[in-house]
Amino acid sequence: MRSRVPVGSGGGYAPGTVEPASVDDVFTPPEGAWERVSPALSRLRRTLLAGVGLVMLAVLVLVSLLVPLPGLLVAGAGVTVVAVVVLGWVAVGRSVRRWGYLERDQDLYITRGAWFRRLVVVPYGRMQYVDVQAGPLDRAFGIAEIRLHTASPGTSAHLPGLPAAEAARLRDRLTSLGEAQAAGL
Amino acid sequence: MSEPTRGPADQPDTGGPTRAPRRLSPLTPLVRGGILLLAMVATSWDDLLAGRLGPVGLTLLGVLVVGGVIGYASWLRTKYWIEADELRIDTGVISHQSRQIRIDRLQGIDIVQPFVARLFGLAELRMDTAGGDREGSLAFLPLAEAQRLRQTLLAKRDAVRRADPTDDGSRAEGPSPPRGWSRDWAPPDHDIAVLGLRTLVLSVVFSPTTVALLVGGAFFGWIFAHNGVVMVAPGLPVVAGFVLLQVRRLSAYYGFTVSRTSAGLQVRRGLLERSSQTIALARVQGVVITEPWMWRPWGWARLDVSIAGYGSGGESEGGPSASTVMPVAARVVVLRLAQDLLRGEDAGGDDGDDDGKVEVDPDVVRTSPPPDRARWLEPVGRRFLGAGLGADVAVAREGRFTRRTHVVRHARVQSLRLAQGPLQRALGLADVHLDSPPGPVHVRFRHRAADDARVLLDQEQLLARAARSARAVRAAR
Repeated sequence: MRSRVPVGSGGGYAPGTVEPASVDDVFTPPEGAWERVSPALSRLRRTLLAGVGLVMLAVLVLVSLLVPLPGLLVAGAGVTVVAVVVLGWVAVGRSVRRWGYLERDQDLYITRGAWFRRLVVVPYGRMQYVDVQAGPLDRAFGIAEIRLHTASPGTSAHLPGLPAAEAARLRDRLTSLGEAQAAGL
Repeated sequence: MSEPTRGPADQPDTGGPTRAPRRLSPLTPLVRGGILLLAMVATSWDDLLAGRLGPVGLTLLGVLVVGGVIGYASWLRTKYWIEADELRIDTGVISHQSRQIRIDRLQGIDIVQPFVARLFGLAELRMDTAGGDREGSLAFLPLAEAQRLRQTLLAKRDAVRRADPTDDGSRAEGPSPPRGWSRDWAPPDHDIAVLGLRTLVLSVVFSPTTVALLVGGAFFGWIFAHNGVVMVAPGLPVVAGFVLLQVRRLSAYYGFTVSRTSAGLQVRRGLLERSSQTIALARVQGVVITEPWMWRPWGWARLDVSIAGYGSGGESEGGPSASTVMPVAARVVVLRLAQDLLRGEDAGGDDGDDDGKVEVDPDVVRTSPPPDRARWLEPVGRRFLGAGLGADVAVAREGRFTRRTHVVRHARVQSLRLAQGPLQRALGLADVHLDSPPGPVHVRFRHRAADDARVLLDQEQLLARAARSARAVRAAR
């Protein structure tokens, strides 16, 4: 999981070159390059999206068979569903590619979001506890989500789509670093 | 009030632990049932005058008798005493409960006097522990005894903490206050700010609520003049609500006094219900100074504080809140209080010498507004947004009409966030948030130029890191 995936359509930097040049560079890592989350996350989200789209299409077909509806309406609804799925497909790719994190000596940097961009800095010493969650779907794709809590509810630091082993490693590391550097309130 | 219990009456105030179990004031059931008694008298007034009890009165009398028996039994079974380093409270008539409160975990002890209790010279003692929720309460004690017990507990707590600084009790709430903190922190119970009645009344009169009241009153008056009482009736509760709100504010903030004690800043307030609350300086997370435009001719401001464990406060629901340290005062006074709170455990003494002076005056920190293009997102308030990083504090200003200055120490910042929405990205802007525990204080630098925002984030990250390690070093000494 040490692969360095370059930023997708939204970003504009290549690993190694960290000179602030454009507005997008506001979300560059402080050093080196972001660790990216697993592509399994986009597979999971796209599977979900496709599943929901298929179910909706199936319902549409069923309804149009049972109830006489104007053909134009059915076609329009079908096209809308397909369009939403396609747009969602692209959006999932963009969003998943922009998740990234970086472990530093005293804090964890997390970045996310293609449309609403975020960069969160959580000092290890401020962490109250660290959660790892993996639902049945997550487990099927071999990924887990890690969640960091500080004394502030505004922190909102979480990382979905980590390979399960990496999530466990990160949790253990964060917990031990948090204990070592505990700064309380 | 006479001493209600047979405890050793002539023991010294501090140091002499209350070993023997003591009871609460025997008037407790009476005070607790006082509301019911009033209700009974009020509802069956006519019947009482006629020398008989109506059905409502009879029911209430029954409730009163049963309540009285339960209340008396509960009083009989409630005992408290100090055992080793713990305060023990035994309660329960049918199932017994025994609560042990570790004295070194006590954060603050508040004395509250509800109206009825005040008539009898009684007070409730509320214990605030590191967990944040108020777990222990002793209601009711004679006021003098409550104050004495409070002093005893606080003194004992300080003694325990001094004796064993590595105790895990201090770890649970962060680094313990540095040695000498309680010694150097000003003489006990020294009033540093008192709110005058004139200022309070004026500040309540000159508030948006009053304007709403006047506008509403004029509106309903006009309708009344044209359409008669029928059309006005639905609006009356609203008007009454506003009036009540103002009266509540007046009564809650009456006699507002801030004083220095060995445990921190003590706030006492209230007309009908006196309450006394101690703010442990080690728990102060940040302050916010509010200057509504109607107060500006007088140069008044109010001061709220974020305290770990108190949760979100503020006057959002209209009522007075526990986070208010000064509801209204001259800006100079508010600034001085703010600095006292922010300086906190670094106050004076031998600890301050080698660390250098802590600069916590928000007015010293230069703040700058966001760039011109931010007016597309913040047309009214752009000029009044401000961001600044000082040596020890981060300052954010906001508000066209009600100016707010949020201040936090770098050492108290939890996490940092940089946020940029699509519109902001189009304009090359971004927000920076400095996260604090829940409370009225929220330092955010809004609509900064994007590169500037990143610089602010990086600088704050370095400052916070340095402040944290400095604090860790101090705590370890």
